Amino acid sequence: MNKMMPTLDKEIDIFVTTKIGSFKHIKYHTDATKNNKKCIENLIDVKTLQKEDSITCMSWGNVAQTEILIAKKTQQIDCYDTLQGFTKSVTADFSTGHVVGLGRHKRRLLAALSSGVVKIWGKQEAEMQVGKLDRMRMCADDTTLFATGGEENDLKVWRIGEAEPAFSAKNLPNDWLQLRQPIWVSDLTFLPGSNGQLLAVCSRYGYVRLYDTRAQRRPIANVEFKMAATCIAPSFDDRQVLVGFGRGQLHQVDLRNSRSDKGFKGCAGAVSDVAIARNDRLVVSVSLDRQLRIHSYDTKEMLYRQYLTSKLSCVLVQTESTTPLRKGEVEIKEETEPETLEKEESADEMDVLFDNMETITDKPKKKKAPPEPTESKRVKPSLDGSTESQQDEASQEEAIYNLLRSTEKQKRKREKQKREKRAKSVFYNA
Amino acid sequence: MARGKDRKKRKLEKKQEGDDIPKKIPHTLESLREKDETMLANQDTEEQEEAQKDIELDELSTYYENSYEPKVLITFSDNPHSKTRIFGKELTRIIPNSISRYRQRSSVKRIVQSGIREGITDVIIINENQKQPNGFLLIHLPDGPTAHFRLSSCKITPELRKDHKEITTHRPEVMLNNFSTRLGMTVGRMLGALFHYEPQFRGRRAVTFHNQRDYIFFRHHRYEFTKDGKRAKLCELGPRFTLKLISLQQGTFDSKHGDYEWIIAGRRHQLETSRRKFFL
Repeated sequence: MNKMMPTLDKEIDIFVTTKIGSFKHIKYHTDATKNNKKCIENLIDVKTLQKEDSITCMSWGNVAQTEILIAKKTQQIDCYDTLQGFTKSVTADFSTGHVVGLGRHKRRLLAALSSGVVKIWGKQEAEMQVGKLDRMRMCADDTTLFATGGEENDLKVWRIGEAEPAFSAKNLPNDWLQLRQPIWVSDLTFLPGSNGQLLAVCSRYGYVRLYDTRAQRRPIANVEFKMAATCIAPSFDDRQVLVGFGRGQLHQVDLRNSRSDKGFKGCAGAVSDVAIARNDRLVVSVSLDRQLRIHSYDTKEMLYRQYLTSKLSCVLVQTESTTPLRKGEVEIKEETEPETLEKEESADEMDVLFDNMETITDKPKKKKAPPEPTESKRVKPSLDGSTESQQDEASQEEAIYNLLRSTEKQKRKREKQKREKRAKSVFYNA
Repeated sequence: MARGKDRKKRKLEKKQEGDDIPKKIPHTLESLREKDETMLANQDTEEQEEAQKDIELDELSTYYENSYEPKVLITFSDNPHSKTRIFGKELTRIIPNSISRYRQRSSVKRIVQSGIREGITDVIIINENQKQPNGFLLIHLPDGPTAHFRLSSCKITPELRKDHKEITTHRPEVMLNNFSTRLGMTVGRMLGALFHYEPQFRGRRAVTFHNQRDYIFFRHHRYEFTKDGKRAKLCELGPRFTLKLISLQQGTFDSKHGDYEWIIAGRRHQLETSRRKFFL
């Protein structure tokens, strides 16, 4: 049975936020034929969006990855439960600027504003001044740690409850002209499995640096690029990171050898966020050209690309748990047509395959003319609206083909006549 | 030779078909254009709604709510030669409420800063190479976007044997043709936002930005209706030029550290997958 299906279909849940404030859930199937627009749903009603609703930051609220924290430009922070929807919201109006980092330590919520104030909600509320920020991130291994960085504000690692930083980075020595090296931390990440002791930082000035808090305050690896780096995420191997750039490149940087060793092509605009799906070895990136892209990590080939109508700002990949589509539930009630996505969790793959077959034969019945079997295959993944035009195109193609054939016939006939004429002519015989 | 053959063939085809078959659309690169998912026409209603919202909330929406009158600063690369200077001057006549100033070796970022301070809404910087204008940088203030165009086949009024004095000071009507994709719409909106939102129809001036195969053709006309009022005669006033988008940047000009929304440099082979693929 397995020979019939060369690849087993797996689902990956991806959450994407945009600059206009919409929040989307995409169910990506590793079996490429199952990806369609029905797998995308809006979790915030688009009509209600206002001008300042742009989402600036998104992160997981718990280890099980069922809670998402979202911060808007209006300094409003929302908690979204992947099963229940929006649960509660707080306003981070303790200072100016937008939210650049979110996190959760046990039951305490952390938020950092671009003006440089980090606030910890909970029993003992605390506020910290850390200087202008571009990014704050929590450590996944040790949630008491968080790191900050910004323009002319180098990397600092803080422990919750302590006023002084646990680690503060030191700049590289001056260059050969005795000029100071400029600093601009645009994004940072804790490398997983290091217990919060290894950090990678990327900069708008084009460098990617690795810090080891045990070893020294200066970076232990430094890689220079000629373009502005916008986002960084840990890659599959330790000491490897994925870095996205403002000119639309996406590279993997090996910090052991201090060089970039892989590039993922296809982005036409700045990469705004990257994430990985560890089990399926996929690289998920969102960019300002309004596209979500999924690359295969090993082959570097682009597997999936989806236009999502507005500029994308953040992406999260759910690896610990799964989320069913909400739209799926509604559709089952409305039409009897089985929704493949919902069933997948209970039924095995073969059932799904048969379900799909049903949908193929069902659809043409609604249409007037039953198309050819080869055509119906092509029709299936696309939306209802576009199928008609495809059929039209097919009939048009047929007409053109017939016409061409008839003219061919005419041509042959004429040539034959010509030959006969020539054979009859005096000169030819002579 | 081949052409003649073709014609015969076509005649034959016509004979076979008879007259009742309607005229077909000729197969051009444009009519056979590759389907673009970002085009509004190709989307379903839900996506269209969202795209509409996206447009409503962008940086240019304040202009399209008619909330301010655009004020445009036109400047050049350093030491412009006469053609570029005249071209800039003519642009000031075309775009209402615009001024042309020499660059004075100022940096673009400083121009942007002082422009915001002075209440300027758009900055145009014309670059020159070998005495020919060749670059067109359009910055919308106060917070972007920034579009960089290649400027080519620029003809100023003396080259068209016209007089720039023919250009009246009336506010023109603006036509934006064929900007169909999402990227094209942003670019079209940026170009439209240079002009006052209320044209003075008295002046009978029309400014056209016509997009064809990603090249944006600019033409400037005065029109006159015939006596029966059915058609309009056109009189070109000049100048004319062609633009091609090189990059679109989020925010104001920062080519080194900024985020690009769309950039073609370095990935032409990835993006230009076919002759029938167009971006605007």
